[in-house]
Amino acid sequence: MADDQQIVVEKPAPGEIIAPGYTFSTITDQISSVVLTRKTPLFWFAAFGFGGSLLMLFLLAVTVLLAKGVGIWGIRTPVMWGFAITNFVWWIGIGHAGTLISAILLLLNQSWRNSINRFAEAMTLFAVACAGMFPLLHMGRPWLFYWMMPYPNTMGIEPQFRSPLVWDVFAVSTYATVSLLFWFVGLMPDLGTLRDRTKNPIGRAIYGILAMGWRGSARHWSVYETATLLLAGLATPLVLSVHTVVSFDFTIAIVPGWHSTFFPPYFVAGAIYSGFAMVLALAIPLRSVYGLQGLITDKHLDNCGKIMLATGWIVAYAYMLELFGAWYGGNTYEQAAFWHRMTGPYAIQYWSLVACNIVAPQFLWFKRVRSSPVLLFIASIVVLVGMWLERFMIIVSSLAQDFLPSSWGIFQATRWDWATYLGTIGLFLFLFFLFVRALPMISIFEVRTLLPQAKVSKEGKR
Amino acid sequence: MIAQATGFQVTDELRDTMRQWRTRFAVFGAVGVLATVAGLFLVSPNQFYRSWLWSYLFVVGLAAGSLAWLMVQYLTGGAWGVIIRRPAEAAARTLPLVLLLFIPIFIGIRNLYPWSHSDLVRADEFLRHKQPYLNVPFFTIRALIYLGGWCFLSWFFNRWSAIEDREGGQTPRRKMGALAGPGLIFFGLAVTFMATDWVLSIDPRWYSTMYGLLMIAGQALSSMAFLIAVIVFLAAHKPMVDVVTPRHLHDLGKLMFALVMLWAYFSFSQFLIIWAGNLPEEIPWYLVRLHGGWQWVGLAIVIGHFALPFALLLSRDLKRNFKLLRNIALFVLLMRVVDIYWEVAPDFLKGSFGLSWMDFTAVLGLVGIWLAYFLRQLEKRPLLPLHDPHLSEALEHGRE
Repeated sequence: MADDQQIVVEKPAPGEIIAPGYTFSTITDQISSVVLTRKTPLFWFAAFGFGGSLLMLFLLAVTVLLAKGVGIWGIRTPVMWGFAITNFVWWIGIGHAGTLISAILLLLNQSWRNSINRFAEAMTLFAVACAGMFPLLHMGRPWLFYWMMPYPNTMGIEPQFRSPLVWDVFAVSTYATVSLLFWFVGLMPDLGTLRDRTKNPIGRAIYGILAMGWRGSARHWSVYETATLLLAGLATPLVLSVHTVVSFDFTIAIVPGWHSTFFPPYFVAGAIYSGFAMVLALAIPLRSVYGLQGLITDKHLDNCGKIMLATGWIVAYAYMLELFGAWYGGNTYEQAAFWHRMTGPYAIQYWSLVACNIVAPQFLWFKRVRSSPVLLFIASIVVLVGMWLERFMIIVSSLAQDFLPSSWGIFQATRWDWATYLGTIGLFLFLFFLFVRALPMISIFEVRTLLPQAKVSKEGKR
Repeated sequence: MIAQATGFQVTDELRDTMRQWRTRFAVFGAVGVLATVAGLFLVSPNQFYRSWLWSYLFVVGLAAGSLAWLMVQYLTGGAWGVIIRRPAEAAARTLPLVLLLFIPIFIGIRNLYPWSHSDLVRADEFLRHKQPYLNVPFFTIRALIYLGGWCFLSWFFNRWSAIEDREGGQTPRRKMGALAGPGLIFFGLAVTFMATDWVLSIDPRWYSTMYGLLMIAGQALSSMAFLIAVIVFLAAHKPMVDVVTPRHLHDLGKLMFALVMLWAYFSFSQFLIIWAGNLPEEIPWYLVRLHGGWQWVGLAIVIGHFALPFALLLSRDLKRNFKLLRNIALFVLLMRVVDIYWEVAPDFLKGSFGLSWMDFTAVLGLVGIWLAYFLRQLEKRPLLPLHDPHLSEALEHGRE
């Protein structure tokens, strides 16, 4: 990739969020060149191809599912939720880091977020898309999904508003809408840049349409700033509310192991935990393939590592309190549920999740681990696996062994369960690498504000 | 910069004002505590211990919550906390006094907690099950661990803060940063189990995993509201009058706003889950609190602890208005008192609403003594950390 657009900058000093030596134009050059001029690296084809093949698997799995019905999955009485809801909760959780970075860190004036918010928001969108697949497919007749909506109909029926599953419909669709708007509004100035820079007439037309007439006038910027702030304000409660509603899916039921009052913040922390793991898992390969270490610096990775450690501790607190509460609360069924988790048919999964989610992240206390991209990458994959196991454990183990031993049953995942799950990973990677190829993966104009020359002095302001 | 030259020391004028307030609080506190103690001998020991317990919980929240804010600040860095660092340190230095104030609760264990009666424990399967945790020696050891741990953390951070003032340099900050993470973990666990021990075990059948978090949020909120009130008080006098600007207040106001929402989020989630579950071992806690007159207190909490401050704090102008923000902070503190009363008292007064004169004297007495001691601590050190790495950023931030 030794072409003309290669930007040479010095290695950023530790603790810096942007390498020295950048100028407004070199930032624009470097980020836009990924889309416009540089030769697409082999890595992109490999990753896109890999995602694409898994997507084919997903299409196959869905086709078979629609032809034969949800019976091809391992869901049997009593475990009717199985992989589908596990994957739904896992995916929707991953999206949360994107919203946290784009909305909450914006409101908190954390400028380091400017370098990672764009692809993290894209990650949110695609994760929500993957998450949405599961409840839809789990319904068995996805084409009747609109029955979930309260609309006047000749059948004279309405959704059961006391069911958190209905709240989910509203929570997730609101989340998807606001995330999409936020992401798209944030893209507009950069779409304008791409429109002006591309030499491809078709590209110019497409970017031009999407940029919606962005000309970068002072008035545009002023409206833009207001819109972003409002959208950030709207998105902030969503970081909490979506996974809170997801946790209500469990807590409102009185199934042993589900009905615990601290599930809402526990789920939100777990969501952010897995989300930041996904941010790292995406950022670390991307920045080395595209040579973006000057923009996504070690400081960013360090911060993400710290957030993972903090949320990991909240999750650890939750596991611990869950056990204490089961013992102290004195409910026999609750105690049995946790005893089964630790010693029963899912003991391997339980102890692996403890190892992945609690033991492994303790290495993040060490600066040396947080400053090593390879170790961080490994840690983030471990956490992603751990969080999936956690969702699986909560859903499957509680359903498999509830109140009445005669109705117990073990969940056995079929190959179609795995095919659908891996398929959504394919869908995610496919969409994500499409995004990397077609849109600036780092926000050009926001990174430019990180430069020292972007800071207006007090004298200059007045 | 004039104030910087004087090292942000407490000026003579401010010292006089603080001493006046100190005397008032001390007199008030002494009268309150003495009256409550008189009630112990003349009226009812049970009532004395109850009033003391819930008033004590409020004071613990102010002191321990401030300690937590210090640790959050050392962990995350940033300029927002520089302005409240000294008041928070002073509040944390009151923890030894808080430890002493625990003694009446220790004496009154048998008056407060049913699990401390061996005949009751023998007769009740639930209590027998919980006995390895709920017993007097272990309860005392745990209380000493919470309070002792907080005292140690407070001593540590204040010591290194003093060294930072004297010598500057990177070392104090590094030391404090290194202990802040583990310290916060300890704080979280200590408050969680403290809530279990001191509040939940009044009704040993009930448990809610959210309750610890609710207590943490409550402490964070009351200490933040308290620190805002202190800052506004200091901002009326030299040297801080040159330092504190609406922007600083705006940041703190936003934090208070966020905590009001966080508390409401925890509180409502707990309620919704228990209400929807409607299980015999869970729902009685709310049944007691939603009948017999308590429901009006509950409604007042919904409005005063959440809806009203939420609606008011949305306003940017209000968060930048010193007096108004202080008044809201004081109101939030009042609602914290009401909330703690609503959480603790109904379990003692099974059935109907009740309020003793000792509840008033206890809370006024404890808060008065505590405030006097706090002001004593506050005047000891410069009102801003002189060598805080974020100090100039914080001062600059205020002037932008």
